[in-house]
Formats: sequence, C-alpha cells, structure tokens
Amino acid sequence: MIALGQQIENKFLTAVNRKSGSNILECYQCGKCVSTCPVSDFMDFPPREIMQMVKLGMKEETYMANSMWFCLTCAACSGRCPREIDIPRVMEAIRHLAIEENVNSDNPKVKQIRIFHEIFLDMIKHYGRNYELRMMAEFNIRTRNLFKDMHLAPKALLKGKIPLGHEKVKSAKAIQRMFRMAEKLEKTK
Amino acid sequence: MTKLTYFPGCSAHGTSEEFDSTLKLVMKSLDVEMEELPDWNCCGATSAHVMTENFALALPLRNLVLAERLPNKTMGIACASCYSRMKSTKVEMDSHPELAKKINSTIVEEGEYHGDVDVKSMLQFFYEDIGTDAIAEKVTYPLKGLKIACYYGCLLTRPKNVTQFDSPEYPMSMDRIMEALGATPTAFDFKTECCGASFSISDTEIVLSLSGTILEMAKESGAHAIVVACPLCQSNLDMRQPDIEKRAGKKYEIPILYITQLMALAFGYPMKDLMPAKHIIPIEPALAHIGEEIETPEEKKKPKKAVTAESEVE
Ligand code: SF4
Ligand code: SF4
Repeated sequence: MIALGQQIENKFLTAVNRKSGSNILECYQCGKCVSTCPVSDFMDFPPREIMQMVKLGMKEETYMANSMWFCLTCAACSGRCPREIDIPRVMEAIRHLAIEENVNSDNPKVKQIRIFHEIFLDMIKHYGRNYELRMMAEFNIRTRNLFKDMHLAPKALLKGKIPLGHEKVKSAKAIQRMFRMAEKLEKTK
Repeated sequence: MTKLTYFPGCSAHGTSEEFDSTLKLVMKSLDVEMEELPDWNCCGATSAHVMTENFALALPLRNLVLAERLPNKTMGIACASCYSRMKSTKVEMDSHPELAKKINSTIVEEGEYHGDVDVKSMLQFFYEDIGTDAIAEKVTYPLKGLKIACYYGCLLTRPKNVTQFDSPEYPMSMDRIMEALGATPTAFDFKTECCGASFSISDTEIVLSLSGTILEMAKESGAHAIVVACPLCQSNLDMRQPDIEKRAGKKYEIPILYITQLMALAFGYPMKDLMPAKHIIPIEPALAHIGEEIETPEEKKKPKKAVTAESEVE
C-alpha cells in the first residue's frame, strides 16, 4: 500500500525527461500542441495526451501509441507551447526508448513506417547516400504492395525524376565504420 | 567574389535536378563561387534520427568536419531537410562540447570538429548574404504580373533556436525576394504548414491530406504558382498533385517552382534552362501571366504585415 503523501518514483518520466532534455511536468495541458499539430487527427493519442501519459508513468500504453511514429518533427507545436517543451524531442525520446526496449507495436501503419526508415538506413549504410528508385522498390517489396505508386513510375522515369544510376560516397567504408562506432557508443552509455 | 561551400543533398542529382542546375546559373549571375563539398554523405534525413541517436548525429557531423577542410566560411544547403539535420547537429555540438567529442570519436579519420563553418539554407544565404537589393539589380526580365504563393514548409524557419532565421509563423524572406524579382507574393496563410515530408512513401494518405490543404489555400490566395526552396516539398506538391486532385474531386493545376528557377528566369536565362519538362504540372501556363497588369482589387491584397523578418529582430 502506498501511504498518503508518499512519492512514487516515475522511472518512465525520468527516462523521457533525460533523453528529451525537457521537463514534461511543466506541461499544463493547454492543448495548444494538439490544435497546431498537422497529424494529430491520425494519432491515437495527440501530443497533449502523450505528455499526460508520461506524467502518469503509463509506459506500456505510451509505447503502443502510434503518435511518436506519426510525428513529422515539424516543430509547429513546440514553437507555440507556452511551457517551451520540445515536443518533437519528447516524441523522439519515447520512440528511441521503445526501440531500445524492443517494444514493437503491431499497428500496421507503424510497421510500415518502421520498414521505410529501416530501408533508408540500410541504404545510407551501404552507399553513404540515398538512392530513390531502389528505396521505393524495396519498400514495395517489403510491404508486399508491389504496385504502390506504380502509376507514378512511368511518368517520373520519363521526366528523369528518378535516376537509374547509383551514387556512392567514395569512402562508403568510412560510413560503415562510423555506423559500427556509433552503435558501440549506443551500447556503452 | 563571394565563396560558398555547396551541399547538394541526395535529391539534387535525381528528383530535383532542376533546382541544382538553376541554382548554379543563379550563383553565376550573383558572382558567387560554389564549391561542392567533396565526398559528402547523406545527412540521414528523417530516418536516422527516428531510429538512432548517435548515428543520426554522426552523419551530419562528418559533413561539417569535411566542410572545415575548405577555406570557405559558409556552407549553403539546397534541401530543407538536409539543412535542418546539419544545422541542428551544429547547434547541438556547439552547445554540448562533451557530446561533440563523443560523436567525433566515430569519425576520427575525417578529423576534429571545431565549429567554425556556418550552415545556411540557400534561402537564408540569398536573403542575408546577397540581399534583395543585389538580387533586384540582376533582374533583366521582371516577373511583373505573376502572382506567387511563397511556401516555406516547416524546416527552413523552425525550430527558431536552430534556424535563427526569419519568423517561424509568418516568414517574409522569400516574399521579399519575389518582390525583388518583380513578382507579387499573395497573402498565403499556409506558408509554414507541413507538406507531409517523408511520409510520401510510407503513408501517402497523410501527404495527400496535408499537401492538399496547402494547394487549396494557395489557389484561394489567387496565386498562379507556388514557389518553394525544398525538393521534398516540391515533389509532394507537384508529383502527388494529380492524386490530390483525384481525392479532392477538383483541379488545382498549380505548378510548383523552385525559388532558383524564378530567379534564373528573371535574370534573363531562357525558359528551357528551367527544365520545364521535369514538372508534372506544366509551368508554362502560369508563367504566361508575366507581363499582365495586376488588377486593382488584387493590389490591395498585398501580404499582410504580421510578423515580418525585419520586425522579428530584437
Ligand atoms: S502546448 Fe505544451 S503545455 Fe500545452 S498541452 Fe501541449 S505540451 Fe502541454
Ligand atoms: S512536431 Fe510532431 S507533434 Fe509537433 S506538431 Fe509537428 S507532427 Fe505534431
């Protein structure tokens, strides 16, 4: 039993605060972020509710939300937040914690977004640069949606919008080395 | 002669070739010598920072370190997303020296980061380093009669502590440049709304909805065309426009031009140098308005004097 006045440690809040550099307890739930956010309609919990969930230590529920995957880092909300909370960084912190703790949402849209980012990262790791056509093709293969955007492809190719050649950083090896080092850093912290 | 390190970004040699090539023409007219950053790498875009912490900082940092090898004091970045990644990494590194050391340890072979190269978007470079007067001086074909909605998107002016440029709510720098070219910027309230960015591939529905509202509002402002300074905004608004029209059940047919295409045109370069064939929505009908008289009622609809770049400076 928790005695009256006893403080319960909210480890989740501490972790999110530390990673994001903001103090979420400052949020006074005005909702300005929600009315500003261009994708709050697509989120199952808009930014204001995410703040409250973190305050209440609702870790599992927060990790399962799609909100931090839909956040575009457009910073419209943080520019207007009267408590100066860096909301996109809070979203990022929650996302990174969920990845670190290996929590995977089974929301199909979230899965799709994660696949996109994974392919993009692979591309950078291999070539040091992004290669747009390959990016689209791999995305369609991995999401089993082979014909997505195919109606755009002929026109885009015709107009030279999407190059067929590869571009590689001369020292692509340097990028691979960098990635290994960065991964090591991630583990040692 | 002004010197500038040029960071083209991954799309410059693909989807946004017309941005890259007109940028080079414009810089030549403005007497700016651009030197492409040798062996630059992808900034990581959205994906690196969505998925990783250190790698997301290491990618831009490598470019910043490489830029320090060149004698130029400023690096100009074409893509708004690259600009945002690079500038926010610079701000992060400059304010947290221990973190900078830690991330620097992943790229020891490239060298040490000192933080003495400034990072600017091309828009910021035009506005601050060249200035609207010098731009106006180069105009030989004024774009009189052309009504333009200036679309900045999220990342050129936000977050304010990162960009330290113009207003995050109602920026005016691009509007001023358009005026210098002789064009008439419209009162466009959606100039800093998000276009949906990288969701173009992973969740197209979001892009169709967000970019759709931007097109709608630009049309309503009376604009003949939208001008942008970012390849991702351009491709979302141009390439996805037919799908947006289908979804909305109406035609917009509003072309999306790069700021450098309009500058090149006003500086006297021929139409073919703008690479019109690259556009999904044809640009010629909009540009045919050049030379027309702007009707008087429209005259009053000058951009509202909300927070302008000038009045924002404390
Ligand atoms: S705008 Fe800031 S203070 Fe208001 S609800 Fe959102 S996060 Fe909380
Ligand atoms: S940064 Fe994220 S949460 Fe904030 S307004 Fe943009 S999309 Fe919404």
